[in-house]
Amino acid sequence: MAISGFEGFEKRLEINFSGDDPMVSIGLRQLDFELIEEVLDAVQCTVVSAVGNEFFDAYVLSESSLFVYPTKIIIKTCGTTQLLKSIPPLLAHAHHMGLVVCGCRYSRGSFIFPKAQPSPHTSFREEVMYLEENLPSNLCFRKASVMPLKKPKSSHSWHVYSASDEHHLVQHIPDVFTIEVCMTELDRFLAHALICDFGFDPCGYSMNGIDGPYYSTIHVTPEDGYSYASFECVGSTYDYDIVVEYLKKAVLVFRPATMSVSTTGAANEDVCTRVRDVLQPLGLKCRSCTMDEFPSAGNVVFQTFTTRRK
Amino acid sequence: MASSTEEGQVISCHTLEAWNEQLQKGNDSKKLIVIDFTASWCGPCRVISPVLAELAKKQTNVVFLKVDVDELKTVAADWDVEAMPTFIFLKEGKIVDKVVGAKKDDLQSAITKHSA
Repeated sequence: MAISGFEGFEKRLEINFSGDDPMVSIGLRQLDFELIEEVLDAVQCTVVSAVGNEFFDAYVLSESSLFVYPTKIIIKTCGTTQLLKSIPPLLAHAHHMGLVVCGCRYSRGSFIFPKAQPSPHTSFREEVMYLEENLPSNLCFRKASVMPLKKPKSSHSWHVYSASDEHHLVQHIPDVFTIEVCMTELDRFLAHALICDFGFDPCGYSMNGIDGPYYSTIHVTPEDGYSYASFECVGSTYDYDIVVEYLKKAVLVFRPATMSVSTTGAANEDVCTRVRDVLQPLGLKCRSCTMDEFPSAGNVVFQTFTTRRK
Repeated sequence: MASSTEEGQVISCHTLEAWNEQLQKGNDSKKLIVIDFTASWCGPCRVISPVLAELAKKQTNVVFLKVDVDELKTVAADWDVEAMPTFIFLKEGKIVDKVVGAKKDDLQSAITKHSA
């Protein structure tokens, strides 16, 4: 492991809004680009490319991705970005549009280089304090948790903070779930072979996919010593097979020695077994499986895997 | 709406008649035509809009047209536009290139490549 290098592990922030304004049909998508840039300035990242469809806008950033739906925003940033600092300007702009925060979820794995992180990301405790201070009081249900409680050997933990107002305590989109995959110690030979048109200078890759109302996103930091790749997408509880296929492909491409899979919002606990079943024949052994319930976010399942060579 | 003072500008086509007229004019001129398929509710379209206007000012040998996918739904459907912004490059009636997304560099390279 290198002493220092680019931090691949992302910080992910998702904020849900509600509003009575008829303009809520476009909602956050009507935000002027200057205002979006202002929010991103607070985080120290810029827009590299962008695309939208009838459901949402997707932006590839200099340090990851931004998804803007009419009443939901998802920002996922890596490196040493101060992601939580986007909250004050974002809430201010949303307020001007007549939108009120009704739910918030912040999640991340464990940093490869935690000492390199700036405030308020120097520790999960500091992050939780910042969230507590900057989220409005109508979010009366809050929970912060590290999964699993005891850090698994050779793996990272999953940190989750979520908050909800009294009307959105239970996730009201039962048919979909989000899956977040983090892979480290990528196969050296394969990682160097990754070349594509969304390449960063000197190296690195980011991609956003849009498919109807669903997004997917892949980010790669190939440098040996701190190699990292993440993959996130939305799945349907009626068809786990599609997501399971993606998981398989991701492993075959990146060949990580360590991997974690976090599933949010799946009402069915079968997801644990399905993920384990697809990864085991690929040489990844399940080292931990933790489940917990969070306000607004719903059920979160966190599993860690390592290859037998560990 | 058609006039020679439109050089150096992005021409917005709000009706089918205007669209067909501009398309014909562009094809007859044998110049490269860049069509920007845009939507008022799409954030990325607002990102690229000033960039396109700048490119139009500089490259007067290229015709720039703009189509709002809500105003001209049938045109958007005919040209298979699913995500915005979508830029379609036409030369003498044939599609020579396509850029999907607000990608400034890709847009510039495609214009340079096909207007040579």
